[in-house]
Amino acid sequence: MGDNHISNRIRRLRFDHDEMTQQELADKVGVTRQTILAIEAGKYAPSLPLAFRIARAFHTTVEDVFTYEDEKTPSDAGKQAT
Amino acid sequence: MSKLRKAAWFNLAVTTGCMLAAGLGFAFLTRVNAKGVVYVGIALVSACVLTPVFYVLCHRKGFEASFDEREKMIYRRAFALSAWVLMFFLAGICIVPFLALGGQNVIRAYCLPLIFLSTLFVAQFAHSVAILIQCERENNDGR
Repeated sequence: MGDNHISNRIRRLRFDHDEMTQQELADKVGVTRQTILAIEAGKYAPSLPLAFRIARAFHTTVEDVFTYEDEKTPSDAGKQAT
Repeated sequence: MSKLRKAAWFNLAVTTGCMLAAGLGFAFLTRVNAKGVVYVGIALVSACVLTPVFYVLCHRKGFEASFDEREKMIYRRAFALSAWVLMFFLAGICIVPFLALGGQNVIRAYCLPLIFLSTLFVAQFAHSVAILIQCERENNDGR
């Protein structure tokens, strides 16, 4: 929790998947809506199992959902912005 | 309201109520200068104090099992904070009178159960408030 160097595209991915709500995603991965909200806001870094479950909920990989800030390249930064 | 916040409010309410009842009970026992074989009064006051403590302790594992990983982290962080608060409060309440009054003076016997009650209450209060503040901070920041 607090400051962490992991950003995510969960909000964008939810929108792209039939405008999935936070509650729907929370139910799919087995956490509360507040946890999804905290992850999206960057206030909480999920555990590895949870990160994988979120990625599977969007039928994609963990790297597509989460980005570790130090590893961001300019091309990744552009991709993040879309 | 999430299960964690409900649990925090419930523990706060139950602990406060029981501590108030126990405090009144002790005040009565002190007033009548009860000593020796006053089992009924002592048993009632003990029940008011011990029942919520045992309930919280026995249901702790059940509570934690129903929390998700973030809520477990919040709960454990609050528990660690309450342990520190308990230590500092107990140290303060025991050492300050010694420093203020001197080692040769005495305090009344009713101070001892009051110290016990107030320490339990402060620790539980700190635990519940820490949970509620952490939840509220995230809710406000997330909007």
